[in-house]
Parts: sequence; structure tokens; C-alpha cells
Amino acid sequence: MILKTKLFGHTYEFKSIREVMAKANEEKSGDKLAGIAAETAEERVAAKVVLSHLSLNDIRNCPAVPYEEDEVTRIIQDAVNETIFNEFKHMTVAEFREWLLSERTTGDMIARASRGITSEIVAAVCKLMSNLDLIYAAKKIRVVKHCNTTMGLPGTFSSRLQPNHTTDDPKGIMASVMEGLSLGCGDALIGVNPVDDSGESVARILKTLDEFKQKWEIPTQICVLAHVSTQMEAMEKYNAPIDVMFQSLAGTQKGNEAFGLNGKMLQEGHDMMLTHGTSVGPNVMYFETGQGAELSSEAHNDWDQVTLEARCYGLAKHYDPFMLNTVVGFIGPEYLYDSKQVTRAGLEDHFMGKLTGISMGVDVCYTNHMKADQNDIENLATLLVAAGCNYIMGVPQGDDCMLMYQCGSYHDPASLREIFGLRPIKEFECWLEKMGITEDGKLTPRAGDASIFMSR
Amino acid sequence: MEKNLKAIIEQVLREMNITPGSGADLAASAVASAIEQANTSVVEDGFIPDVTEVDIKTQYLVEDAENKEAYAELKSYAPCRLAIGKAGARHKTDPSLQFRAAHSAAQDAVFNDVDQDFVDNMGFFTIQTQCENKDVYLTRPDLGRKLSDEAVDVIKEKCKKNPTVQIYVSDGLSSAAVAANVSDLLPGILQGLQSYKIDVGTPFFVKYGRVGAMDQISEITGADVTCVLIGERPGLITAESMSAYIAYKATVGMPEARRTVVSNIHRSGSVPVEAGAHIAEIIKTMLEKKASGTDLKL
Amino acid sequence: MHEEILSVGVDIGTSTTQLVFSRLIIENQATSFTVPRINIVEKIVEYRSEIYYTPLKSPTEIDAEKVKQLVLGEYKKANRSPSEMSTGAVIITGETARKENANEVLSALSDLAGDFVVATAGPDLESVLAARGAGADGYSKERRGVVANLDVGGGTTNIGVYDNGRLIGTSCLDIGGRLIKTENGRITYIFPKIEDLARESGINIKVGDRSERETVSAICKIMADQLAQALALKPRDGRHKGLYTNEGKPLPEDIGIKALTFSGGVADCVYTENSGDWFRYDDVGVILGDEIRRNEAFHKAELLKAAETIRATVVGAGTHTTEISGSTIVYDRSKLPIKNIPILKISQEEEASVSTIISSIKAQLPLYMSEGKPEQVAIAFSGEGRTSFKDIQVLADAVIQGAQEVIDGPFPLLLVIETDIAKALGHSIQVKLQNKKEVICIDGIATIGGDYIDVGEPIGAGSVLPVVVKTLIFNS
Repeated sequence: MILKTKLFGHTYEFKSIREVMAKANEEKSGDKLAGIAAETAEERVAAKVVLSHLSLNDIRNCPAVPYEEDEVTRIIQDAVNETIFNEFKHMTVAEFREWLLSERTTGDMIARASRGITSEIVAAVCKLMSNLDLIYAAKKIRVVKHCNTTMGLPGTFSSRLQPNHTTDDPKGIMASVMEGLSLGCGDALIGVNPVDDSGESVARILKTLDEFKQKWEIPTQICVLAHVSTQMEAMEKYNAPIDVMFQSLAGTQKGNEAFGLNGKMLQEGHDMMLTHGTSVGPNVMYFETGQGAELSSEAHNDWDQVTLEARCYGLAKHYDPFMLNTVVGFIGPEYLYDSKQVTRAGLEDHFMGKLTGISMGVDVCYTNHMKADQNDIENLATLLVAAGCNYIMGVPQGDDCMLMYQCGSYHDPASLREIFGLRPIKEFECWLEKMGITEDGKLTPRAGDASIFMSR
Repeated sequence: MEKNLKAIIEQVLREMNITPGSGADLAASAVASAIEQANTSVVEDGFIPDVTEVDIKTQYLVEDAENKEAYAELKSYAPCRLAIGKAGARHKTDPSLQFRAAHSAAQDAVFNDVDQDFVDNMGFFTIQTQCENKDVYLTRPDLGRKLSDEAVDVIKEKCKKNPTVQIYVSDGLSSAAVAANVSDLLPGILQGLQSYKIDVGTPFFVKYGRVGAMDQISEITGADVTCVLIGERPGLITAESMSAYIAYKATVGMPEARRTVVSNIHRSGSVPVEAGAHIAEIIKTMLEKKASGTDLKL
Repeated sequence: MHEEILSVGVDIGTSTTQLVFSRLIIENQATSFTVPRINIVEKIVEYRSEIYYTPLKSPTEIDAEKVKQLVLGEYKKANRSPSEMSTGAVIITGETARKENANEVLSALSDLAGDFVVATAGPDLESVLAARGAGADGYSKERRGVVANLDVGGGTTNIGVYDNGRLIGTSCLDIGGRLIKTENGRITYIFPKIEDLARESGINIKVGDRSERETVSAICKIMADQLAQALALKPRDGRHKGLYTNEGKPLPEDIGIKALTFSGGVADCVYTENSGDWFRYDDVGVILGDEIRRNEAFHKAELLKAAETIRATVVGAGTHTTEISGSTIVYDRSKLPIKNIPILKISQEEEASVSTIISSIKAQLPLYMSEGKPEQVAIAFSGEGRTSFKDIQVLADAVIQGAQEVIDGPFPLLLVIETDIAKALGHSIQVKLQNKKEVICIDGIATIGGDYIDVGEPIGAGSVLPVVVKTLIFNS
């Protein structure tokens, strides 16, 4: 492998694949904060050139953290199908990029290839893609998963209803659930981020959600986004009904340790879902990720945030999740500076997740200390639907009163479906029609009236 | 077109055999003035209602709701933008503008500096972290935790040494929080401490400060307890929320878990003056138990 | 934070005496990163006593000693001791409250019922407790409508009316199941007002008569009818006014009652069809219940199942009397608990200016003196709108100036405020008085002039105080 090139006659020499990978990234404030970003625009391109000539074998042999030191690396490397890998390993990253984009390469072929590559390879090819490349390639890949209902089927576009509340007040949560449903939101999941991360409180919210779901016979999934161990306690000790089990992931063992997490706990959570969970399955896990998490816990091992993000997906794949979303603009301007960087990260994450074989959603969002606004995330959401994203988030008018950030509105999934001619998950759509909320794929005039759920 | 209309009216009147000077004249001039009004915009007195004063907990924009009263009751439990109706699949205009107004307040709170006159009027001297501007502050949290060399000197020069409690104010992520709360919150704390007869150091203002700067300040002043009043990252419900981070004998590099936090201080959250009284008692307890954060059970 | 406190309720009624022990679950509902917000989140009745006939020495005197023995016995049975009780209430209700030695009974029991227990009576409070014990308040909130509870007991019927969870009226009538008593087939007692009512209605019934179902049904039918009139489910006739206990007031005629619950000893006979011996309790309760159930006027309102029937009042007393103060307050532990403190209320108008705050306190203080000597009083106001640091200083100065006599006197300065400013105000007053006066300053408690208040020992890791506000004059 060669780690040197010239640009306009200037020599650019990189010390390691790690350096090449970091510097080949599109500009991100998080890589700058880590002190690993390209120092000039030219150096960035030089790194891309060098990266394009590396073979997939070179990339696989250089995991972000050594195999012996990191269980995330082990999970990713051990999952590689060696037969498939051998078919691809001599390709350069440039060739792999073109293979993915080729009109002869189908979604199925990519799905097969994804079994033979590592997360570092996924990240490497991502770095050579333009935004439209990312949309174009991701669009080919379809990942379909089943929990109570089936997500990701052609012609569908889903949403997670996120009825968060500042004090976990059950009435307040349910008011928000009703509004979301009345606008056609919630076919992927009704999922609450709790304030109180105790088993008892988590169980209480889950029971409230479940009761409502049963009463109105809503074909969807429910979840409270507490730590895996809390959800297990809620299930075991308080008999909480859980359709999908949630966990935030990081791309290194050390990063997961900062979340109080390891692979064994994830496996136990997954296994308990199969023995105690309330859903049909077989996909019973739900993960969240986001570029920059590893750096914030100083667990990045001097690797860039795109590669580490790809590794989250590699880890997630081991548990065959029903869904995963990247919370793309939540972490703040020190990782993603502005709307341009958020847009890029959203498209990267979505592409990388799908190439890994994950049922991808994106929490298209921003905080108030970032140079972004609602227009920017409406743009990104539209791009993601074009890229074939499985789902986005919905909160009341895009304003999450508990997490204090803004993301998609309850109104957005219906708007985007109408624009792109897409539908929610079939069973959910039938339910919406029965409730008089949608008709022929459009919201009815009655939609948006949450008070229909107040009738006895 | 105005002239045309006039001509037509006059013609009609003539055809009706109505002579000028009769009541028809008045009618014609009334029509003419109505036409004039419709075609020229007149600036009128009065105000369009303030969209930021709408109470989102009671706002109800869904027309012909099936069980309006029942849902209105339920939604009063949620501080969210509910029952906002729709225009097609999009938002109605009013809530869109309310949202934009709230976001504008949030962005101004983050990106604008605290008014220096306010700081001076509070009697604070101002020091700065190693961030030279807001942009550096936002992208380099590490620098927002370290004081500039000059700042260290100023503290050494101006502050009372080894006070029992060192309180200071910092902008953090909301200049609006500082402006809205400090003049009630800080005296609330000070009076509480006075009632407990606890001695307090010299307060000051830290520009471009992150919470972690309190550790260095604790080391420089030698205070037993250090407390920073700092602007929180704004949400759309309020841009004025402030937090107090309090630690017993804070040191650089100590675990985050050693900080005690009182957040959500603003006029519609924890009322500043009462929160101040509460913080005073926390400080008293900290001094008694010689611990803070997760080590201190309140 | 999750804490349980124990509460006792004792109801000494006209005909029966009961006791319950309840657990009140207290939780901090705020996150650990904010100022605490401690509330009672759940009330669980953990022990219900047997229902005893109230021991009487004579028709006008309660047997205090026997009542005491009975309560003691229940403590033993429940394996509880008085010292465990954090709060609660002993209530002498109905006709019994008019017995000559009611106060003597209360003082005999107050030691038994824990350190901090309210001991009071009065038809308005009784109506409220029964309605809450029966769950009428909850129903009205659930249905966002007007729900009345009728606690039909031996001597009186106490009516409590709630609209959307808010109390909107109480009323008490001398109508009850034991206002006519029977023994061995004969009528042995008729309450004078009922005797008058029968006579005026042309029903011939007197002590010594054979207890005939037809005759008794006729008078009970009229009693039931009067209850329907009391609820304004039917126009009121000329005799109606005279039936109110202690010449109390009727409910407004436009009160708009949509649903009903029944509690008290007669309630079960309203809810279920009766058969067998109509005089099995040696009174007319079964027949009165039957007549209420049959009365068409009552069918205009929906009949709801009461959470408690015969035990509604005692459950109300045991679980619904206690409130929790705000979580940021000032108190002097050595001065707690304090009981039966009258409220000196500064009215909303008087609160508007500093001078009227001062003059209001000064003008009212003498009313709470006994023979020119100060007694413990609680100064109460809303505090609304006075939430800046400057406002608090002004308020503190005004209170100090107005209550100088209290400050100079032997009792702590006790302030009861609605708005969340008690801790700041308490600190301010302490600083201004140089910590030379005991100050108890609590908030989150609404009161009206004429109320009495009990303040208990701290709970919830010391951050809140249990409070019982005794409203005695709601509808009189």
C-alpha cells in the first residue's frame, strides 16, 4: 500500500491508514476538536486520493482499535463472511465505490457484499462519495425487518413518534401520543425518552403506552429508551411490556463502557426480549448512535467520527435490530458545526448503516447552539426520503420539550409521504384509514384532531 | 380602473335620470371613496398580538374537534406544541411563527454576548476563558474550561482569599439567562447564606465559560464550596433557563459526578429567588457534610 | 425519593364508630437536577376496623372511656402504635358532634391518635371527607362534570358537590336512617324534626306505635324526596328549608348535578335491592335506602359506584385531610408540630399594597388574642406576583412591621403562603430579625380566613411539612 501522493506538485505523505481515514473526511468540527482533521482543503483531497488506492484488504487489516483490545472490533471482524470477503478484498476503495454505484450492481448484490466487509471498509468508501452518491447508492439498498409489523418494504416510509415529557407525566405523554397518531405518525415505533431512568418509572410508562396501544388496537411497536439494564429490570421485576429493547451504542469498547455497556449486556437484553418481550419478532432491538459520541468520552483512539460511527452499525448488526437511528445533530457544534455538516453526516450515516445491513432511520435534528434551523432539517429529511430512509422522528411541531432540541414534526412524515407517493406500514395505514385519519395516502381534514382518542 | 368605475357609475346614474345634486351624488362619492380605500394601504394604529405571549398549553387550533374540552384538559399536562391543527399536511401559520420566534430567542441567547452594562451594574468584574470569541467557545469546549492567564491574575488580585463560598456568574450557552435571572437568583443565595451566617467571596463574571472552569476557580480562590450560575443551552420553551453547579473543594480533573446541579431556574420553572434560597441551603448542607454531587445525599 | 407516612382516621358517628390506617406515599416528582417537588402520589388504606356502634352513656353523652378502649383495641389488632402515625384525623360527626361531651372525647383520644392529629367536627368538613372517601371528587374530574356525594348516615345526610375535581358546595340535612328507631316491632324514638315532617305530611306515626312498613315507607319516601330537593333535582317545597342541620344553607338551585354517589350506613341499601327483615337494624335505614333508590327524581342523575360506602367518612378522614407544603420552606423543628392554629388571612385586595398588608395584620391580630394576651396565629396570604428579590424584601418588611406584636410575643412567627416564595421570604425575615425569632414559613397551602391549621413534623427527608387545613365555614 502507498500512503503518499502529490497534488499540484506538492507531496502529501500520511503516516498511517488512521491518518488517511481521518483526513479524507469531509470537514467536521469534531475531527478538528480531536486534532486529526486535514489542515487544508488540498490535504483533504490528497487523503481521499490515497484512500481511493488502498485495497479493502488494507483497510480490513487496520481496525480502529486492535482486535485483542476491543470487543467491538472482535464482533465486527468475527462476523465477516470470509468467502465473500475474498471476492472483494483486492478491490481498491475507488473500485468498490464504483461497484456500488454501477447499474449492474443490485440491492441484493450489495446486501451480500455487506456480509463480507468490515465497518472500516464501509466508512472508507463513504469518504469517497459525494452527497448525491450517498443518496444514489443508499437508495438501492433495502433493509426489511419485522417486529410486530414489517418496516422497510418498498413504497413505505415510517416514523417514530417521540412523545417526550419534562417529568414523564403519563397524561402529558399520552396527549402527545394522541396528537402524533392523529397526524399519521408512529408506525415505526412509539418511543419515549424517559427523564427518570428507574425500572419502576420506565415500567409505568411502558404499561401506559401498552394499554393505549391495546385499547385502540394500534399495529405498531412500543419502547421506553432507558438503559438496557433498566429495561431488563422493568421487564423482570415490574412485568413491563416491551416490544423493542433500546440502547445507545458507541463504536469502541471504551466508548460503550462510558455508557455502562458491554456486548454481554446487549446479548442478555436481546435474549430476554426473546423470552420475555411482548412482540412477534424476530427483530427486537432498537439502537441509537451519533457521530462524536466516542470523542466526547475520549474513547476515539484518535480515529475519526465517521469511521467510529460505522463501527456502531457493525456492532448493532450482531443483534439484528428492528431499527437504528443516528441522532445526527444532537451532540452540538463542537462535533457538527452547522447545517452543512449535519446534512453531510445524516447522509453518511444513513448510507453506512444501510451498507452494513441495518434498518436505518435518522433523527434529523439540531440544537439551539448550532448554526442550523428548521429549514435545514426539513431539507435533510427530504434528501433522506429520496435516499430510501426507513423512518424519521416526529415530535410536536419539531420541538422536543424534554431533550431541548428540535427535530422532525409530527406533520413531516405525512408531508413527505404525500410528496414522494409513499405510504406508512400497511397494517398501520389500514388502522389510520379505519380511524379516519388518512384516505388514499393523504391526511383527511379530520387528521390532527387528537381529541378523537378522548371518546370513551 | 378607478376612473373607469367612476365613469361607469356616472353613466348609470345618468341613464337612470338622476341629476347630480340629489342623494345619488352622495352614493356615488361613497362608492368612490370605498374604491380609494381598497386601493391604498393606510397605516393604522395598534399592535398585532405578540406571538411569544401565546400559552402553548392552552392554545387550541384544531377546528371542530370532536372532544375539544377533554383533550384541552389532557394537553394542559404537556408543555408541548399540541392541538396546533394543520394546513394540508403542514403547520398552520400562527404556530409556525411562534416556533420561529422561540428559535430566534434561543439563537440570540446563544450567539449574543451578555450586555456588559448589565455585568458592570451588578458590580462584577469580568474575566475571560481561553476562548477568544463565541465561535471558538462553541467549538472548543476544552478552552471554555480554562481561564486565560490574565483572568487568573485578576482573580488573584481582586478576590477575597479562601472564602467559605465562592459564587460567580458565567454566560455558558445563554446570555439571556444571565440577564433574566441573576439579579434575583444571586441575592437570593446571598441572603440565604447570610441567614446561615456563611461567609461569601467576591462575585465576578466569566465570559465564554463552561461549567468545568469552576474547578480552576476553586483552586485559585481556595474556596470550600464553589458555585457557578451559568446559562443553559436554550430550548424553545424558554431561552432563559439557568443552572447552578455547586461543588465542595472542586479540583481540576475531578469526576463530573462531584458536582451538584440545580437546573431549570427561570420565571416559569424554579422561580429564581426561591431557587436561590434553596441553593443557599444546599451549600450549607455541603459545608456540613463536606461533600457534593453523588457523594452528597440531599 | 420515595417515602411512606402513616395516617390514622377515626370517625365517631351518630350510630357507628370506625377507624382506618392508611399509608400515604410521598415522592419527589422533580428530577434530581432541579429544585424538589414533593407530593403525595398515592393513598392506600391498609387497615379497616370493624364497624362498632358508638358507645353512649346516655342519648346526650358519648362514653369516652369505651371509645378509647375500642380505638386502643384496633391499634393492637392492626399491630400499630400511636407514635407511628404522622398525620390523621379524629372526627366526631353528625348528631354525635352535638353531644355534650364531644370535646372531652376528642381530648381523651388525641394522645392515642399519634403526635399530630386533627380533632374536629362540623358538617361541612364531614361532607367533604365523605365525598372524597366515596370518590366523588375523582369522578367529577374524570367526567369534567358536577358530581354529588350523599353520605346518608344515622342522623344526618351530608352532601358534598364537586365540579371537575373542585369542591363547589356542601350541605347537611337532618335526614338519616336512625332518626326513627324501633325495637321488638315498636317505634321507640322519633327525631323531633321528623315527627313534625310526618305530622305536616299527614302521616300518623309516634313513639310506641307498631313499626309498620307502610307507615315508615310513607315518611321515608318524604325524606328521600327532601334529599332530591336538596340536590335541586326537584323543586323545593315549603317544608324543605327547615330540614338543614343547624339552620345551614341549601345548595344553589342551579348547581347542575349530573351524577351521584352514595355513602354512609344507608348507602348499601340504595345500591342494592333489599329483602328480608326491613327493621333488622332497629331503625329505618333499609327502608330509607329503598325509597331513595325508587325515587324518580334521583334517576335524573347518573348513579355511580362509590369507592367507599359505610367507610367513606373515616377513609376521607384518614387519607384526604393531609396536604404537603411546598418543598422550599423555612421552619424551626423544635416548634413542631403545632395544632389548631387559627388563620389570620390577608385578603387579595389588602395584599395589593404594603400599607394595607401592614394594616390588615395589625387590625386583625387583636381578634386572635385571648384576654389581651397573644396566642399562636398563622398569618396567611397568596404572595402572588411578588417573586422578585426586591418584592420579597418589601414583603418581609411589611410582615415584620405588621406582626411586630407576634415577633415580640412568645410564639413563633408562622406564615402560610400560596405562591412558591416561602424559603426566600423566610430567609429575608430571619436576616432582618438577625435570627432572633423562630420563623416557620411554608408555601403551597391555600387557606381562607376562619380556617384552622395543623403543621406536623418534617417528612420527605426534612424538606416538606404535612399540613391539615380545617375549613369549618364553607357553607354556613
